[in-house]
Amino acid sequence: MLLSANGLETALEIIYPVAILTVLAIVFAILIAVFSVKFAVKEDERVTAVCERLAGANCGACGYAGCEAFAKALVAGDAQLTACNATKKSAKEEIVNILGSGDLGEETIVVCACNGGNVCMDKYDYQGYGGCASIELLAGGSKACPMGCIGNGTCVQECPHDAIDLVDGVSIVNQEKCVQCGLCISHCPKKILKRIPAKAQLYVACSSCDKGKDVRAYCKAGCIACGLCMRNCEAGAITLKNNIAVIDYDKCTGCKKCAEKCPSKCIKIL
Amino acid sequence: MPYVIFIIINAIFINNFVLSRFLGICPFLGVSKKTDTALGMGIAVIFVMSVASVITFALNLLLVKLNVEYLQTIVFILVIAGLIQLVEIVIKRFSPSLYSALGVYLPLITTNCAVLGVAVMNVSELANANILYAFINGAASGIGFTLAILILAGIREKMANADIPESFKGFPITLIISSLMAMAFSAFSGLSF
Repeated sequence: MLLSANGLETALEIIYPVAILTVLAIVFAILIAVFSVKFAVKEDERVTAVCERLAGANCGACGYAGCEAFAKALVAGDAQLTACNATKKSAKEEIVNILGSGDLGEETIVVCACNGGNVCMDKYDYQGYGGCASIELLAGGSKACPMGCIGNGTCVQECPHDAIDLVDGVSIVNQEKCVQCGLCISHCPKKILKRIPAKAQLYVACSSCDKGKDVRAYCKAGCIACGLCMRNCEAGAITLKNNIAVIDYDKCTGCKKCAEKCPSKCIKIL
Repeated sequence: MPYVIFIIINAIFINNFVLSRFLGICPFLGVSKKTDTALGMGIAVIFVMSVASVITFALNLLLVKLNVEYLQTIVFILVIAGLIQLVEIVIKRFSPSLYSALGVYLPLITTNCAVLGVAVMNVSELANANILYAFINGAASGIGFTLAILILAGIREKMANADIPESFKGFPITLIISSLMAMAFSAFSGLSF
């Protein structure tokens, strides 16, 4: 009798913990299952559909926390599709179909409109804290050219896709890696990282509006507004504005004669 | 009533969960980069600690009755995790704004050692414990956590402008700040009622 009572106690010692945990687990499993069905939140199917078609870079250049937040804003009508540059045109068309309206925007690529770097003279040697923006604050940057790439690599650090490299002191966008999010553009104090149409075959790698003689004095790679490119362009796509060559990409045929004739080689082929 | 005040002062200042018990260090360091996210985390912790205190205290009575107190840890973890899941579902349904404000922190703190800590201490350290005191202790501990994480976040925001040696940037300097804060809070240990 005594032995069996002991046996019962031992059995209970084993059974209680097992029973308690099992019961708790089952209770919570059932509760969670019931709650998740009963309180299910109906999410807009369009959000998922739009989110699937966005580039998924989560770069944040549109001003939203990520692609999902942007998709929600698109569906709610708070955002414009043009704010996203990373999404491919075909995907954007599908999104417009889902939403029923929307502006596709032109496909663009990002280029650095400066070819100076090491061949552009320095105004002073910056020794201090911070990136390009800090240098810009001190007498408009360390380069003698007021529109020259500072070459401190703020864009290189900001690029989420490692698509920008510093080559010979100037930023160069690697078009294969670039998703056109435009974070670099918003961080460049000189605003020399620019968008040009995706169909462009050439771009003017200089932004200086100074007179030719002045440009020549501080930079060997700058546009001196000599007009050779303009005269050699058969399509008449190049004009001189503010002492710099400007290509009209609607007229440009991509013959690349301007790039050959340019004395300072500042018209670059993509 | 004086005892309630003692519990509150004790939980917030004298035995602050982060700065004198060193529990919940992970979210304390991880989510203290901005004051608004720190506040969101703090509110989530207050909420979870209050609810968890009450439920676990009640469950502990059952455990004591069945003479299986050694199950405390595993039962508490199970209950806290399950409870937060339920709360999350309900909040998501009824208050999307609160849900988005708490964001990822709510599920994150289910396994936070500070939450488990308050549940265990309610039944082991709290004198004359009853369910009301357990609730007050849980809420006050959460407030103490919020206070600590808010102070740290404020300092870290200011620190963005400071000229810190390269090797100390980021977590090293944060750990140093935390230790200084802990030393400052140790002054409260002289308080007695």
